[in-house]
Order: sequence, then structure tokens, then C-alpha cells
Amino acid sequence: MSTGALKEMPRFFGANRELFGLFHPGAPDAPHAVLLCPPLGQDQIRCHRLYRQLAQALAAEGVPALRFDYYGSGDSAGDSAGLDWNRCVDDAMEAANELRRHSGVDRVVAFGARLGASIAITAATEARFAGIVAWDPVLEGGSHVARLDALQEALRTDSSRFMASRTAADIAGQWQGFAISDRLRRQLLELYVEPPAVPLLVVDTQPDRVARSWRHTVGDEAQVVRLQSATPWDELERMEVAILSQPVIRAVTGHLKEVAHA
Amino acid sequence: MHEEAFRFGRASHLVGVAGLPPTGVRETTGVVLLNAGLVHHVGPFRLHVELTRALNTLGYPTLRFDLSTIGDSGSSGESQTRHQQICADVDDAMNLLAHEAGCSRFVLVGLCSGAQNAHVVACTDPRVAGAVFMDGYAYRTLGFKVRHYLPRLMKPASLLRRLTRRRAAKGVPGAQAQPVFAVAASPRAVVRADFTGMVERGMRLCLIYSGGISNFFNHPRQFRECFGAVMRSPEVTTFFVRESDHTYVLTPDRQRLIERIGQWLSLNFPVQRAGSTS
Repeated sequence: MSTGALKEMPRFFGANRELFGLFHPGAPDAPHAVLLCPPLGQDQIRCHRLYRQLAQALAAEGVPALRFDYYGSGDSAGDSAGLDWNRCVDDAMEAANELRRHSGVDRVVAFGARLGASIAITAATEARFAGIVAWDPVLEGGSHVARLDALQEALRTDSSRFMASRTAADIAGQWQGFAISDRLRRQLLELYVEPPAVPLLVVDTQPDRVARSWRHTVGDEAQVVRLQSATPWDELERMEVAILSQPVIRAVTGHLKEVAHA
Repeated sequence: MHEEAFRFGRASHLVGVAGLPPTGVRETTGVVLLNAGLVHHVGPFRLHVELTRALNTLGYPTLRFDLSTIGDSGSSGESQTRHQQICADVDDAMNLLAHEAGCSRFVLVGLCSGAQNAHVVACTDPRVAGAVFMDGYAYRTLGFKVRHYLPRLMKPASLLRRLTRRRAAKGVPGAQAQPVFAVAASPRAVVRADFTGMVERGMRLCLIYSGGISNFFNHPRQFRECFGAVMRSPEVTTFFVRESDHTYVLTPDRQRLIERIGQWLSLNFPVQRAGSTS
């Protein structure tokens, strides 16, 4: 079924209408709806196009989808420095319910990239997700924080960006363009994502896949799909280049089709 | 002010978020932000969100939106040149703010290609009363070349290192950095005449150029070198922010930029309540 002609509708929702979302209508008898949980920071801006393409691909198959921004990110209310891990998890639950209300479909599957996947996994039980598709999820926050810190330090002396190196004070309290609070830093440092109690598909496109075993972290029940093309998440020179990947979109839509017919 | 999300436009194909005054309050000047390159309407590092909210606090209705086929906006389905499409999209955006907030004149704000698109509209649309061009058109003048190359020639070792690096990078696929700024081939004489025409029409212009485009622009004097005497007219304000990069990745730089634009707007377009109710 094709519902491509139906246009996605932007709206604010949630308590005090603080969250921004775009609902992509599907078929009323769809087997499930899909909540697209965005990653955080610059990853979110880089993935915006891919998320839209994925939502449109799902809607074209009759699957309703909701894209949204957490409080303190994108078009949602709040400053970037107000971004809070627990609030992001709550917002994912709120967005899942919003998707159910709008689509009339109770069974919701979540998709997320990087920290968006981590949020989806953390919210899984309370948001009543029927399944999760996690693209390069961040399962342990400490090394992620170290990567972001290293990128921020490299940014300080990036001669292709600045005419002269910046001071440590200039770059403090930020990760790649976004102010961050000490609270968020602590929350991510303490982050260890446990395997969810619902079916999980991991889409692996990380460049450092050598010798990594997802089984240790996502459990024996999870499915893992490894794609050939690596995603350049943490390359300073590509920090403002959109992340686009038809293989990821195909892997996700293909998996969701299988799940629907299982 | 409060924010509302809209799908709007002649083909209902555009998506944007407006910052609007309370019902019944109507403000003369509305501010419209255009996409910076292909970044969707939140702007690079959320610049457009932070800027529009700061301007809302000052009393200006705002709209950040996506042009046709960029970000969350779709295609209008019309057969138009890109310039025609941009003019029609911005016209739709101004109509929305006119309807929702009672605005009758507009200030366009654009960074990089957004500045060039704002320039296209500002040339022809009489409702555009002002514009903020950030890292818009720039040309390598003689002065630029002297300032750019002379210090390098004085340091032969540094020059040699640079040439060696460039030669090495040429041999490695993907090794060269992705360009974030490039100048479209609109002739300098045309752009200069455009600016003159805008000022003659009574428009107020603010040009803010950053150190992030130092391969094209490297000194405050270059505004006049590029665009002539019109840059000295009282209707034109220029800033060269040497320390900043092209997309204001650092929050202190972004904050200063937002304050600068707010001050320029307050000076040139003081908030005027229209007085009527909708």
C-alpha cells in the first residue's frame, strides 16, 4: 500500500506542548507504528535527512511513523544545556503514546541511532515497545564521552575552521556545537545499557568493528546485521556532513516487514 | 511569544516553526530565517532556534522554515528555476507571518547559501525592509591576496610544509576536508549593484562575515573592496568576526552573534506594535 501522498504533519505535543514532532500517517490497519528516536547533539542534525527518508519509506509501506525532538534539542522547547538523559527517556515514552494516539496503532517499534538507540532501549519497558532497531547503539557511556571530549579538543586547534586556535575556556562545557551540563556528562559517564526485554536488532556500521562482539552487551537473543559501509560518526572533518545510508534504510524497513509478517 | 509549527505554502509543501506574539498583538516587523546550506530549519548547531527565540524575547515575530526540498519541506510540484522557487517560498513564508502576526515588512536572515538566497529575494521583493547576510557573497580582492599570500611568502618553511601537505592529500582519496563554504559565480559588479539598489530602496543591511571563510575574506576592509562605497552608507552595517568559524560551532561565539543581530534589529527596526487586533 502506498500512502506517500499523505503529508507529514508538524506539531507540538506533550505536557505544555514542549515537544516537537512530525507524524507520518500510515494505514489504519498497520501491523505496527514506528517511533524514530533521534540521537543527541550534532549526530541528530547529521541524521535528520536519513530519519526523514526512513519515515517516508515506512509511511509508503503503510506504517505510521513519528519523528520527534527531545526537550532541549531540535525544535522542542528548552535550551541545549537543559538536555537531560532522564528527560530524554521520559520524552521517548511520551512520544510513543503520542504515536499510538495519532495512528490508532497500539503496537510500537522503536528505531534509534547511537544515543537515540540507547534511549529507546532504556525506555523499552515503560514505553511498551514491541521491538527495537538499534543503529550503532552506545551501550557504555564512558568511552562515548571520551570520544566527544577528544573531538572537542581537536576542534579547538582545527586550522581549517579557525584562523587561530581557540582557548580551553572557549570550548569548555560543549560537545561539537552544543552546550552541555555537568549533569548530562555525569549521566552519560554512568551509562550502561542493559539488553532490553523485547526483540532487538542491532544494525552495525561502526568503523571499529574489528573484534567487537555485540553478544556480550546486547545478549544472545539480539539479532545483529553488519553492513559493509562504515558510518563516519566521529570524524572531525565530516562533522557537518549529513549521514545518509540507503543500506541502513533498507535493513530497517526490511526487518520491520519481516517482523510484521512473522 | 509562543511557538507554533506550520505546514504552509502554495502547495502546502513547506514546514516551519513560527514564534508568535499573543493573540491580538500585532507587530510590524517579522524576521524570516532561511536554510544555511542543506541544514534543516533548526540551523547549524541549533543556531536558528536560539536566534529566533532571542528575537522573540525582544518582541519580533519570527519564522524558521525549510525551502522546497530541503529539511522537512517537500516539492511544490511546479516547474520553476531555483531562483523562482526561492522567491515563491519566501513569499509564502512572509504571507504566513503577515497572517499570523500582522507583519507588513520583513527582515531576512541567512548564513552562507541562506545569505545568497536572501539576497535574491531582497533584490526584488518590496516587503523586504532589511537583511542580515552572514558569510554571503565574497570575492578575492587584490587586498585579500596581499593579506593572504604575503605573510606566507615571508615564511618559506611554512609555505613548503603547506605545499607538501597539499600534494600528499591529493594522492589520498577522501583525505581533503569537505568544503563548508563556496562562492556561487554571481559577478561582483552585479552583487555590488544589487546592494546599491537595496540601499536606494531604503533597505537596512547587516553583513556579518566570519574568520571561517578566510580563504575568501580576511579583513573588514574587504567589504568595501568587494562592494564599493555603498558599504559606507549609514544603512549598511558590517562586522568581520575574525575569531569565529563559518557556522559558529562554539557557544560563546554563537551567543555574541545572536546579541549582535538583536542589537542591530533593535536599532534599525524598533519594535512597533501595530495596535490593531486580529
